[in-house]
Amino acid sequence: MTPPINAVVAALHRAAPGSRVMMSPAQMAGYESDGLGYKSFRPDLVVIPSDADELAQVVRVLHDARVPICLRGAGTSLSGGPVAAQGGAIVHTSKLRAIREISLDGFWCEVESGVNLRQLDEALQPSGLCYPPDPSSGPVCTIGGNVASNAGGAHCFRYGVTSNYVLGLEVVLLDGSTHRFGGPAGGNGPWLEDWKRLMIGSEGTLGAFTRFWLRLTPRPEKVWTFRATYPDLQSTERAIHGLVRHPAFPVAIELMDPRAVALVETSSMAVGLPKGHFLIVTEIDGPAALVDLRVESVAEVLRSAGSADVLFSDKAEDRENLFKARKAMGGLLGQVSPDFLVQDAVIPKRALANLLQLIYDEADRAGVPAVTVMHAGDGNLHPNFLFDSRIPEEVKKVEGISKRLMQRVVEVGGALSGEHGIGNDKSAYMPMVFGPESMHLQLAIPQIFNPRHQFNPMKVFTERRFVA
Amino acid sequence: MITEERFFEHFMDPVDGVLCLSATSDAAAIEREASPHGLRFPLLLDRATPLCEQVASSPFAPASSRYGPYCDNITGMNWELPDGRRVRVGERVVKSTTGYDLLRFLLASSSRYGRAMDYVLRLRPACDTSRVFCLRGDAACLRSALKSLLQSTWMHWLDSVDLVAGDSPFLRVAVHCPALEFEAYQDFLSAFSKKFSLALEPAAGPALDGCPDLVVKTTPEFVADTALSLAKHPGAKCVALCSCGVVHVFLPDSGAIGEIVRPIESALHAMGGHWQSRHVSPSPSPLEASWISTLRKEWNIS
Repeated sequence: MTPPINAVVAALHRAAPGSRVMMSPAQMAGYESDGLGYKSFRPDLVVIPSDADELAQVVRVLHDARVPICLRGAGTSLSGGPVAAQGGAIVHTSKLRAIREISLDGFWCEVESGVNLRQLDEALQPSGLCYPPDPSSGPVCTIGGNVASNAGGAHCFRYGVTSNYVLGLEVVLLDGSTHRFGGPAGGNGPWLEDWKRLMIGSEGTLGAFTRFWLRLTPRPEKVWTFRATYPDLQSTERAIHGLVRHPAFPVAIELMDPRAVALVETSSMAVGLPKGHFLIVTEIDGPAALVDLRVESVAEVLRSAGSADVLFSDKAEDRENLFKARKAMGGLLGQVSPDFLVQDAVIPKRALANLLQLIYDEADRAGVPAVTVMHAGDGNLHPNFLFDSRIPEEVKKVEGISKRLMQRVVEVGGALSGEHGIGNDKSAYMPMVFGPESMHLQLAIPQIFNPRHQFNPMKVFTERRFVA
Repeated sequence: MITEERFFEHFMDPVDGVLCLSATSDAAAIEREASPHGLRFPLLLDRATPLCEQVASSPFAPASSRYGPYCDNITGMNWELPDGRRVRVGERVVKSTTGYDLLRFLLASSSRYGRAMDYVLRLRPACDTSRVFCLRGDAACLRSALKSLLQSTWMHWLDSVDLVAGDSPFLRVAVHCPALEFEAYQDFLSAFSKKFSLALEPAAGPALDGCPDLVVKTTPEFVADTALSLAKHPGAKCVALCSCGVVHVFLPDSGAIGEIVRPIESALHAMGGHWQSRHVSPSPSPLEASWISTLRKEWNIS
């Protein structure tokens, strides 16, 4: 039987006296949802441990009290991951903000789970090294959340996603014990199996991350950024197909559809993009002696696909403007619509025009505004559906479109999520991907570390319900 | 909404640059599919060994320096459990966060939970110029040069940077690029070798050393010293895949592995490294044995 909440709070104060415990409705309001704003769940309490040791004590107390535990970083997830779907406690990692070590010769850094990407990038600037994953929420999102959802970003086409950079992690398991999987060397450490592989992308369902060892890489010497416009989906697709096979191996290949361009250009974030076209932003980087040789051939790929408007620049301000426009989308959507739902499918690139047309047809038929951006190099599609969650009919329409889109994504050989995770948004779609045997193998993993699903219940798989 | 079990069929998709074929395929079989489309799979340890055996012998190949380990270049597979049940793990697209990452876990697990039947490989653009260079000089110059090279932005564009440790250690650098760019690579390597008083010479063949008997995972910082130290074992040849922090050890007698790893094991573990060998396997701790036991029970593996 679960003890009364006041008894749990008293036990938390005794076991972790430096931690902050909050329970008032006003305080809980800020933790009810993540970037998937329309699905909200009020937690019973929020705990902010002062350090990793206290976090372990907090987990032990909550485990003993049979309270659902949900870890949360900055809350910028877009899939309904760090929310208290079954009530219980949210454990907020905002005090775990230390960058503990940067090894210039070893090409790694050790950071706590609440460090955000901007903080890390600023610390790495003088070293000439960088940590490449760059989700759009980079200025605020935490490494802990990035690892939990295996975050990506615009520059992951060449550099890879978070899982390519996690050398090791420290995790608090349900009984409050702390374990380290991997470390600066990125191997298994004393373990026979590579358990960190199951932890990365596990969306808080296996344990509480406290720190990470991350691989670093030399910063590029020179960057060229290109912008090209296209009149239709077919020519846009041709350009993307040409870029992904170019030996210059672009770092990023980003697509904004005409509706996304219009949204930016009619806002205070306008940077002078030409309206009414599909826009591709791509980038090459490396030693100056190499990238300067590649500029014309990349421009030619963009032109030969059908663009009469190809611009390129090696000036930092031009680059920053273009990526500011691309990354401003989330904030702008929040300004023009009460709610929006961002999908995160990954599709084979030959299906790109087909899937985008499906989105437009479905959205137009339902009268739901849709704005699409895409990490096109990876085939990672982000349609944003705008709606008002106070109107049940609109919610129903948007969820119907999402479901049909995901069915089509699976039919063409794609994946439900590329970088946002499944959360509670897409958990119902998992049986589209996993047959009975595969599902059985998947659901075996929490049986090792979190058999009663006390960590982050109701996420990733709908079967994961906590029974106290 | 439960679907039937899905599996990968063999396919070649030149647009996405992915190829699905049998896990027992060798280099020639991969090239037959990929080359006509101007693509290649760069992660090879040798040409004749089936790919699944290469993957089992080491998570890394020399070209991992540029493209990452095998697990970042195998996007999906059909997997057979020990009792013959088959499942699909991973995807044909290069990016996915859809459930637990069984793909990377199983790829690293040797054959303890079954075996790969088919792989989906991520291919890369094939260029018309491939060259391997050796940089020779005294040990101090090699160390300084290696440190500088690893910190250079050129690291992203060299197919491999290996330290071949033996009686006369040398750096081995592989270049794979369009002909138009080769002069820029040559200019860089000439200036670089001159700066560190190294002799630059073309190598005879590709940077393929075969499947190692022992793999040691450390950090890039310690990889050269580890390789040079392990190479002192009689008959051992060591190749350090420098940016990966990996040493491939080739031995005349695999019975010596225990004796070689015992002195370095605890230091490796302390930095999150480990050793692995296709000939012998370390034992799990009691705690880990209990986790493995749970997993095997849940997966119905006796």
